[in-house]
Amino acid sequence: MATERNQKENEARVKRKPLISIPAPVDSLLAGWAGLALWLLLLLLLALYPYTGVSSVALFVGSQIFVLVTLASNWNLIGGMTGYVDFGHAVFFGIGAYIMGILVTGSPLLISPEWGFWQALPASGVAAALFALLIGLPTLRLKGPYFSIAMLGTLVAMREVARVLRPITGGGVGLNLPPLLNRLGDYYLMLAVMGLVVSIIWWIQRSEFGQSLIAIREDEIGAEMRGINTTLHKIVAFMIAAFFTGTVGGFWAWQNTYIDPDVVFVEARTVEMVMMSMLGGLGTVWGPPLGAVVIYFLQDLLWGSLFGVHLVALGVLLVVIVLFMPEGILGTLGDRSSTSLGRLLSRVGRSK
Amino acid sequence: MDQLLQALVSGLLLGGFYAVMVLGFSVIWGVMGVINLAHGEFLMIGAYLAWGLSRLFGLDPFASLALIVPLMFLVGYLLQIVLINRIVERPHLMTLLVTFGVSIALANLFKILFDADPRNVAVAYNGSLQLAGVTFPIVKTIIFGAALLIMVCLHLFLQRSRLGKSIRAAAQNKTAARIVGVDINRVYAITAGICIALTAAAGAMLSPTQAIFPFMGPPFTLKAVTITALGGLGRIPGALMGGMVLGITEIFVSTYVAGIGTNLGVATSFVLLVLILIVRPQGIMGGLRPLEPEAE
Amino acid sequence: MRHFLLQISLLLVVSLVLTSCSLAPPAPVDEPAPASADTDAEKIIYLGAAVSETGRFSREGKDTRQGYGLWLDWVNNEYGGIKVGDERYKVELIMYDDEGDPDTAARLVEKLINEDRVDFLLGPYSSFLTQSASAIAEKYGKIMIEGNGAAQPLFERGFQNLFAVLTPALNYTRSALQLLAEKGAETVVIAYEDTAFPTSVADGAQSWAAEYGLEVLGVETYPVNVADVSGIMSKFKELEPDIFVGGGHFNDAVLFIRAAKELDFNPKAMVITVGPSNPKLIEEVGADSEYVIGPTQWEASMSYADDYFGTAAEYAARYEKLWGEPPTYQAAESTATALALHIAIEQAASLDTDAVRTALRNLDVVTFYGPINFDEKGRNAGKPMGAIQIQNGEILVVAPTNAAVADLNYPAPPWKDR
Repeated sequence: MATERNQKENEARVKRKPLISIPAPVDSLLAGWAGLALWLLLLLLLALYPYTGVSSVALFVGSQIFVLVTLASNWNLIGGMTGYVDFGHAVFFGIGAYIMGILVTGSPLLISPEWGFWQALPASGVAAALFALLIGLPTLRLKGPYFSIAMLGTLVAMREVARVLRPITGGGVGLNLPPLLNRLGDYYLMLAVMGLVVSIIWWIQRSEFGQSLIAIREDEIGAEMRGINTTLHKIVAFMIAAFFTGTVGGFWAWQNTYIDPDVVFVEARTVEMVMMSMLGGLGTVWGPPLGAVVIYFLQDLLWGSLFGVHLVALGVLLVVIVLFMPEGILGTLGDRSSTSLGRLLSRVGRSK
Repeated sequence: MDQLLQALVSGLLLGGFYAVMVLGFSVIWGVMGVINLAHGEFLMIGAYLAWGLSRLFGLDPFASLALIVPLMFLVGYLLQIVLINRIVERPHLMTLLVTFGVSIALANLFKILFDADPRNVAVAYNGSLQLAGVTFPIVKTIIFGAALLIMVCLHLFLQRSRLGKSIRAAAQNKTAARIVGVDINRVYAITAGICIALTAAAGAMLSPTQAIFPFMGPPFTLKAVTITALGGLGRIPGALMGGMVLGITEIFVSTYVAGIGTNLGVATSFVLLVLILIVRPQGIMGGLRPLEPEAE
Repeated sequence: MRHFLLQISLLLVVSLVLTSCSLAPPAPVDEPAPASADTDAEKIIYLGAAVSETGRFSREGKDTRQGYGLWLDWVNNEYGGIKVGDERYKVELIMYDDEGDPDTAARLVEKLINEDRVDFLLGPYSSFLTQSASAIAEKYGKIMIEGNGAAQPLFERGFQNLFAVLTPALNYTRSALQLLAEKGAETVVIAYEDTAFPTSVADGAQSWAAEYGLEVLGVETYPVNVADVSGIMSKFKELEPDIFVGGGHFNDAVLFIRAAKELDFNPKAMVITVGPSNPKLIEEVGADSEYVIGPTQWEASMSYADDYFGTAAEYAARYEKLWGEPPTYQAAESTATALALHIAIEQAASLDTDAVRTALRNLDVVTFYGPINFDEKGRNAGKPMGAIQIQNGEILVVAPTNAAVADLNYPAPPWKDR
């Protein structure tokens, strides 16, 4: 009974008039080919950006933003589209980073001849995807909050595992990667990865696969009865997200030239992913990238100068978004109720 | 043999603390279905209060409980009315996200207020007693005794008192409780008050034994989840059992694994958590809440 | 299906476009210097540093900033600028807040090099941030001189441009162990946090123990932010060692002393690597801190002196006058960092990076902070580490002998007799 009431509440909230509403045709255009065309145009412009004679710092900032956009989009695939809110997604980032570190340095054990960056980068992604398969098989059976907590536990457990496996990971001392930095190369690499990830999400959203994911989010049992192989779909989505998060982790390790358990297996990175996706609009294609850009500049320009208050603000913002703006920027502007957080949460929450 | 006995005693003492630390978390989850990810932060606040009172007025951390418990009861009561009652009927994930946000905000607020520097509370009686060849650290033994006392009191309160019965009724079946005239919001607020006060009390008692710093909370929150998963929701004997299992496991691992024992001890509870959730998401013993609450 | 092919080909087109862009990579164009030094009447040397103002290292970051600031104030207002050949150069120090975040530190160092066009870099606070920051400096061939990163891995990367004025972590326990061996100690146990800096300290402790004929009975690690070390201490209690060596962060010292007392673990000497030299430890644990020994990079009571700041005590007085608080050793080593660069520039008589690098390599001076003489890895390996002991609530230097002001009390009585 309570759940029924609260569903009504949710629907009432969803129907509330948004502050500014984008006309429906524009909205559906963005989700369709026009959206992709605009995206490709943007990518092209970004690819030309270094030709305008910018400094390496600007390129570095660019690649950092591309990293955030990629992470937010990855998280959105499993957390927003499939409805499995992953509080430990940074574990894949960490695994990617460690695979890169171990392969490139040969690790303290000297288990392998040292690999090059280009061989190790795909290996980072593949290792993260395999780990996603391993951990996803049991955890993706869990419902709602249990999945979230199991993933949070996985993240913290892997941090301790990395600390203990000293002969392989260097323990708490960490690993030093060769400092061969190439800001321009980094920029194009991350631009390409970001372009690919967002395009894939765009494609998934239109494909039958994506429709099945949304069906799982809305009603998992119903989806199963309609003949959707839910386990397969969830695992594949989880592995795709993990693959790219791992790739980004590997890249980050290379770029930072130094990793230890506390910089790569860190809860704050998951929080960022969740925040960006939620701020932009969960389950949408363009919301998480938008959220990532907004949060990067907010943190950098505004909060960085306020004596470290920005993390307090981040926490408060999370509460405020959940309570007052659960549809995110895109949802609030465009009233995309079919992808709203409120709806999503009520669906997922039912399985409590 | 001596070492085994010593490890067992240390494990039991630690387990007693874990049991009282987890009560607040477990009861809130059991009664309202709210997974309070800011649990560890309330523990941290309790520890900071004990530190402040001892710094300012030279108050003993155990004596300061008399001030901390009522104060934090009020905080919990108000928090429930202002924030949690708005979301308690909403889906689980929403409460998870909100309490997560509260956790980040509180930890960083305390960092701004008190720096990231660890603080310590010194007590004069921090020595030890020898009994049958086993060392009993005095402070930890007092904590253990206080923990048992608190658990007995809470148990009696929930089982015997009228209010306790209302709380249990609200946990078992909200709708039915409403029908028989239980004011759910008030019961929830009182429950939250008791739980937050208990958690802060645990933090205050902990203050003489470990460093107090703004980011001490999250490991306790995760341990609380582990113990609750071990012992069941809102059950006091379950909390005691879960706490003991975790405490003894941690101490045995850190005593008997050479070199990296302490590291492994820290990892134990998180690995346990993932395993338990995978095997049995509702906890080993069931609990206050029926297995499928308000199943549709 | 047709749609699918169309989509795939579109993706292919995108990747082709991107690849073609990267095939002809334009070099990043760096902006001109903010102010051209030649046109000004006054010649200026630009220095840059990313130091934590907020974040986890905010307190130590403040000491570091004040240490740099003291030198800056002195060199511009009192000394009259750095002498390069016949000319005097004023110094401008550009400092940013790295927020304790390695990504931010790396970005700011890059900005300092490419946008602010600084001539030399000063280090951030902590080994952790120095890891990322020094890699950027190395890539651009800029000299980074630092006084707050002692961990061994920093100097195992073959960097040509990283110099550190502080005693390397490997030597932290050397003088204390030497002194204790002379006093008749025979066995030692070691517990350390498993991060870079304490691990280097512990590795050093093991090799110095072997050197001075001490038997190592047990070695244990613990994770960062550990809450309870009683597991380690009860294991050590069984071993009955003469010396306990432990440490990582300041608070670990508190935990070790407490756990030892609680479990009635009675080593004859406790050497704790971080903490004892800080007066806060006495505040925190009171009388239980008696007899505790700790290494120290620098104390105001040491007997070193130079022509710039005078004796260590005069430096401390000057610092207190400027900032209103006594200097920590983090502040002293930061001032020494800037001073070492200053002396090297004057000796090179040039602002050219290669010339200054050579001058730093050949530097051999004694400052208020102690001798500075970099080895081939950029470490100040010649500087001895001091040791202090807490006696009657005071922090007294007991080693090295030429800087000592008190005798070592050994052995410490068991807890029940205190």
